[in-house]
Amino acid sequence: MAPLGGYRGKILRIDLSTGKVSSEDTAKYKDFLGGTGLGYKILWDEVKPGTKAFDPENRIIFGVGPLTGSGAPLSGRVSITSLWPNHLNELPATGHMGGHWGAELKFAGWDSIIVQGKADKPVWIYINDDKVEIRDARHLWGNGIFRATEEICNEVGSDTQVAAIGQAGENLVRIACVMCNRSHSAGGVGGVLGSKNLKAIGIRGTGAVAIAADKKAWKDLTYEFLSLIGANNQGVVPRTPQPWAEYYGNTRWTARKGLYWGSAKPAVETGECSADDLNRIGYRTQKGVLDHGEGVGEKYLVRMGGCHSCPVRCHAYTEIPALETKYGVSRFQGNTCTGNSFGSGFFSSPSGSEARIEASQLGSALADDYGLWSDYGQFPRDFVYGYKSGLFKAKLDPKEYDSIPWKLLDNNDPAFLLDVMKRIAFRTGELGKAFADGMPRLEQKWPEIAAYHQTYDSSCWKDAHAKHHSSEAGAQVGALLNMMYNRDVQCHTHTNFMGSGLPFNLMKEISGELFGSPDALDSSTQYTPMNKGKAVFTKMSLIYLELHNSLTACNWTLPLWTSPRKDRKYRGDVALESKVLSAVTGEKISREELEATGLRILNLFRALTARFMNEKDLRNKHDLANEWVYEYPKDKPAFAAGVTKMDRADMELAKDMFYAEMGWDKATGMPTQQTLEKYGLKQVAEGLKQQGLLV
Amino acid sequence: MNSDDSVIEMPPIELADASSSAMSRRDFLKIVGAGTAGLVIAQVVCVQVDAAPSAQADIAKPKGMVIGDPTRCTGCRRCEIACTSFNDGKNQPSLARIKVARNLNFGPDGAQYGYQRQTPGHFGNFLIVQETCRQCAHPVPCMMACPNGAIEVTGPVNARIVNTTKCTGCRQCQAACPWDMTVFDEQLKKASKCHLCNGEPECVKACPNAAIRFVPWQDRSKDIPKRWVVPAYLATPPNVSSTCGSCHK
Repeated sequence: MAPLGGYRGKILRIDLSTGKVSSEDTAKYKDFLGGTGLGYKILWDEVKPGTKAFDPENRIIFGVGPLTGSGAPLSGRVSITSLWPNHLNELPATGHMGGHWGAELKFAGWDSIIVQGKADKPVWIYINDDKVEIRDARHLWGNGIFRATEEICNEVGSDTQVAAIGQAGENLVRIACVMCNRSHSAGGVGGVLGSKNLKAIGIRGTGAVAIAADKKAWKDLTYEFLSLIGANNQGVVPRTPQPWAEYYGNTRWTARKGLYWGSAKPAVETGECSADDLNRIGYRTQKGVLDHGEGVGEKYLVRMGGCHSCPVRCHAYTEIPALETKYGVSRFQGNTCTGNSFGSGFFSSPSGSEARIEASQLGSALADDYGLWSDYGQFPRDFVYGYKSGLFKAKLDPKEYDSIPWKLLDNNDPAFLLDVMKRIAFRTGELGKAFADGMPRLEQKWPEIAAYHQTYDSSCWKDAHAKHHSSEAGAQVGALLNMMYNRDVQCHTHTNFMGSGLPFNLMKEISGELFGSPDALDSSTQYTPMNKGKAVFTKMSLIYLELHNSLTACNWTLPLWTSPRKDRKYRGDVALESKVLSAVTGEKISREELEATGLRILNLFRALTARFMNEKDLRNKHDLANEWVYEYPKDKPAFAAGVTKMDRADMELAKDMFYAEMGWDKATGMPTQQTLEKYGLKQVAEGLKQQGLLV
Repeated sequence: MNSDDSVIEMPPIELADASSSAMSRRDFLKIVGAGTAGLVIAQVVCVQVDAAPSAQADIAKPKGMVIGDPTRCTGCRRCEIACTSFNDGKNQPSLARIKVARNLNFGPDGAQYGYQRQTPGHFGNFLIVQETCRQCAHPVPCMMACPNGAIEVTGPVNARIVNTTKCTGCRQCQAACPWDMTVFDEQLKKASKCHLCNGEPECVKACPNAAIRFVPWQDRSKDIPKRWVVPAYLATPPNVSSTCGSCHK
C-alpha cells in the first residue's frame, strides 16, 4: 500500500520450515490496526482449530501498529500473539513486551512479523532494514538471553535490538518469556519460539516513521499529550503532600524533596516534580521504594528506565554489590512490578529488607537470563504452597526431594533461587517438569493444587491463571474483565482510571461524564450491586485495552481519562488516542470510529476463543471465576463494608448487563451474527456458522 | 568578515543549578549577554562562509552547545524523537543529531567486551551516554571536509549548519566527524547535523529527566573521539586547504 504516516506499508512473513521470507501489504489488515488486532486476524485466517501451541502450524505474530515508532508518547509496546502454551486448551492469547525492539522493527520498515513453521536447526532472524536473513544459532542455543543478545550484537552491531529466548523457551517451558533490552519481557510465548527452533530476532532499522500532520500541529499535540500524563498507572496526584499540589493520594507519583536515585553516581534527587514541569516526568515515579520498600529501594536504585518514547519510567534498575559476592551474578539488575517480586515471592522476608531486595534482584538476574516467567506470581505462590503444605514431600521421590536445598528456603536465603529457577528452566526431575508444564497442567497432575487455586490465598482467578486487577479493582468491572481472557488478564484501563489518586467525589463526577453514571465507580471500601454504568465501564476498559495493544500504546499508563492539570479540572482526554492516530496517519478517525475498531478486534478475539474451545457457551464454560471470589471471606456477606466478596446472582446480572452492552447473546455470551456483521466481521460469522458456533 | 565582530566572548558565568531543567533561549541569552552590555544579542548574527572561502580560523565561535548527563538519562529517546519529528516531520533515530540509541544497550564501546561488564549501557552499569555535536571551533572537521562549503556558521547561535542547497550528498562530512555526529537523510540525499534549533534545541525541551542542557559553548574538541583516525581518502578540498596558509605559515 502507499505508505501513510505511521505505517511502513509491509508485513514480514517468515516460514522457518521452508526458509521462505516474504512481504505482505499492510493494507490487507488495516481494519485491525496492528498488534493484537493483527495477531487475532492471522490466527483466525491461518490456524486451524485443534492446532496446538508447539505445532509448526501455529503462528506467532510480533505485532506493532501505526503508533509504534512514531514517537507518540507511550508507543513502545509489542503484542506477541499466539496459541498460548500455558492454557490447558492452548487458546489464543498475547504476551506484551516493551523496550525498544518494536520501534526498531518500524524503523527497519516493517509493520509486524508473522513467524510460522519450524526450522530444522536452531536459527535466529536478522532484520537489517529490507534485508532479512535466517542465520545459524547453534552457537547460541543452550545459552541465556544475556549472552545471546551480546553475541548477536557483537556479530552484527551494538545498536541491534534483540528479542531472545533463554533456556526456558528452548526447553519448551510453558511459562517462558521472550525478552529484549534486558528487563522487558513478554510472558508466556517463549516456548513457542523454542518449538520453532527460533532463538532470537535481531533488528537494525535506519528508516523513518512518517508523521502525516504538519510539524507544528504534531508538536502541539505531543506536548498536549505529555501535559496530561501523570505517573506510572496514571496516578495524577503525588503520593505525599507537596507544596505545589492541591491533592495527594495512593499513587506511584513518589517523587518528593529528599528522595533519591541513591546508587546513581553521584546520587540524583527526584525533587518535587510539579505537574507542570514536563522536564521532570521521568522522576515522578521512583518505583524502587514501591517495589522494594523504603530504604533499600532508594539506596540501591541507580535509575529508572522504560520503553522507547515513554516519559514515564517504570523499570527500577539497581546496583547491589552483594549479588556479586554472595551469588556470583552481576551487581546490576532491574525489572518492574511482578518482575521484581518474582524472586522475592518465594520468601517471607519483609519489604524493605536486604534479604528481600537481594531475592528480588537475584530472581531477576536468573529469570531474565533463563527467560522464565512468573505467570504473574502464580508460579512462586504455587511452589511455596506445594512445599509448605507437604505436597512435594508426599509426591516426589525422596531422593529428588532431598536433593533440593529446602533449608535455604526455610531460612529465606535468596540462594535457593539458584536451584529452583534452574530446575524449572531445564525441566530437571519431576518437580522441574511439573512446573515447567505450567500451572493448568500442575492442577491436572496434583489436584491439591487445583483445590488450592479455589482459595483466596492462591490469588488464582480461573483456569489456573492469576487474578490481575480483578474483583478488588472495581468489583464487578474487574471481575468481568478477569473472565474474558485466556491468561492472567493484562487489563489496566480500569485501574489506570481508578488509581488517579483524585478525591472520590471528583472521580464520581468524571465517571458520570465517561460512563453515563457516577455509580459506575464504587468507593474502595464499599461495593454496590451491578448497574449499567459498570457495564459501560467494563466495555470501555476492554475497547481501550485492545486498542492500546493494537496501536500500540501502553495500557500500563493509558488511557488518560484523568490528568494532573488543575486548569482542566483534572480531566484528561477520552479522544486522545483518536487524535494521535489521525495526526500520525493523516486519515481522520473520530473517537467513535476508533472505538468501533476496538470492538471489531474484541469481537474477533471472542470468536477466536469460541473457535479454539469449540464451544459456544462461553457464559458458562469460559467466563468463570474460582470459588474464593464468591466465598471469601466466609464470615461476611457480599457487599459488606471492606470486603470484595462477590455475590453469585449479582455476577450473573453483571454478565447479562455487560453482554447486552456488547451486543452478545445473553444465554451464551457469544457475539451475535448481527454484532459481528455490524463490526465488519461477516467472514468470521460465516466461520462460526460452519463450526456450529453461531448463535 | 572579521571574526571579532561576530564572536561574542563568553564572560565567566554562573551556570544555572545543575538539576534545573531546560534553559529557555531567553534565559540563555540573558546569561550570555551579562558581560557584553549594549550588544543586541537576540538579533540574528549571520556569519557565512562566502563562495570564496575565508580563512577557516576566522569562523565565529558558537554561542551554545547541547550537553548530556548520563547519570540522569533513562534511555526513553524522546530527545531523538523531538529532533527529527519537530524538525523533519518524521521519527527517524538514524537522522537524529543527538545520539542515544547506539549507546543504549552496550554503551559507546559497544558489545566487544562481552556483557555485564561494568561499562555503560542496559547490559552494563545502566549509564546511558547521550552524544551531542561539539559545534567545534576551528578546525571544524565536517566543515573542512566539505568540498562545497555547504557547512556554514549560521545565527542566532552560530551553529555549524548544513546548507542543503549547497550539499551534494557526498557524505565526506559524515566520514570526517571524529565523534560520528553528522547524519545523512537518505530520503533527501542530504547531510545533516545539529543546528541547535535556532537556539531552542528541541531535544533539551523534550527530555523528561532534564538530562540534556543547552549551555554556553565551551571547547569540547579535546574529548576522546569515537573515531581516532580520519579516513585516509579524506583530503581537505583544495579550495579549503588553500586558505590554511593564511595562519599556518
